[in-house]
Amino acid sequence: MSQSTPSTYIARPRPGETTWLWLIKIVSGPLLVLLLILHLTVNHYLGSTSSGLMTYDDVVKYYQNPIIPAIEILFLITVVTHCLIGLRGIILDLNPSRPVLRLVTWILSLLGVVSVIYGIWLALTIAAIGG
Amino acid sequence: MDNTRNQPAARKFLSWFNPVGRQAGGWAFILNRITALGLTFYLFLHLVVLGKLAQGPNAYDDFLALAENPLIKLGELAAVAAVILHGLNGVRIILTSFGVGVTRQRQLFYGFMAVSTVIILFFVARLYLG
Repeated sequence: MSQSTPSTYIARPRPGETTWLWLIKIVSGPLLVLLLILHLTVNHYLGSTSSGLMTYDDVVKYYQNPIIPAIEILFLITVVTHCLIGLRGIILDLNPSRPVLRLVTWILSLLGVVSVIYGIWLALTIAAIGG
Repeated sequence: MDNTRNQPAARKFLSWFNPVGRQAGGWAFILNRITALGLTFYLFLHLVVLGKLAQGPNAYDDFLALAENPLIKLGELAAVAAVILHGLNGVRIILTSFGVGVTRQRQLFYGFMAVSTVIILFFVARLYLG
């Protein structure tokens, strides 16, 4: 894309990026925009600190509504997936060899799974504090 | 045409951020790539820091007090700005991917960047003026 002009460039899967991965990245984008609007608004406007950030008590109280951990877990899965597919796409642009690409895919997949498990544990732990 | 395709990886990586001779599409590319790399770093840092919530109120609220530090605020603003720029640039890419505004990509880019600037200024006011 780097040398394309805006009038000629149309986004499409990179060589080595399957249509499914590309589609997941594209579909997760608008979902992320919606979730981020909620995330930024809540975390910069609803908290009780002078700059609107949420204190520990604010977070625990916020998580008492069961829909909140569900939304946060959806946000976590979407953002981690979008981020790691995007990072793999950037690495693809460096023309890695097949074995290197396979290794990168494994490492990023592992990182994604660990991050999501950790994030779900954290969300459920916070939800359970006030329960 | 991408004339960096067969360059060594390190030179190719650096060429992504070379501003020389770029038009709007090239700037959109640089912006998307820088914000993507920055947000990737921020995401995992954010997840680690949020772990303080599991350590109890003192651990988390002590960390929160750091957020009033001007340098941390600047970092926070950079993260918010990156989210907005990457998000709206991404919306532009989705639109053109599905055939919307393909012949008006330059105008779309400038339009989305103008909207981004307004939203970022809004957050600047929020962070620094309360």
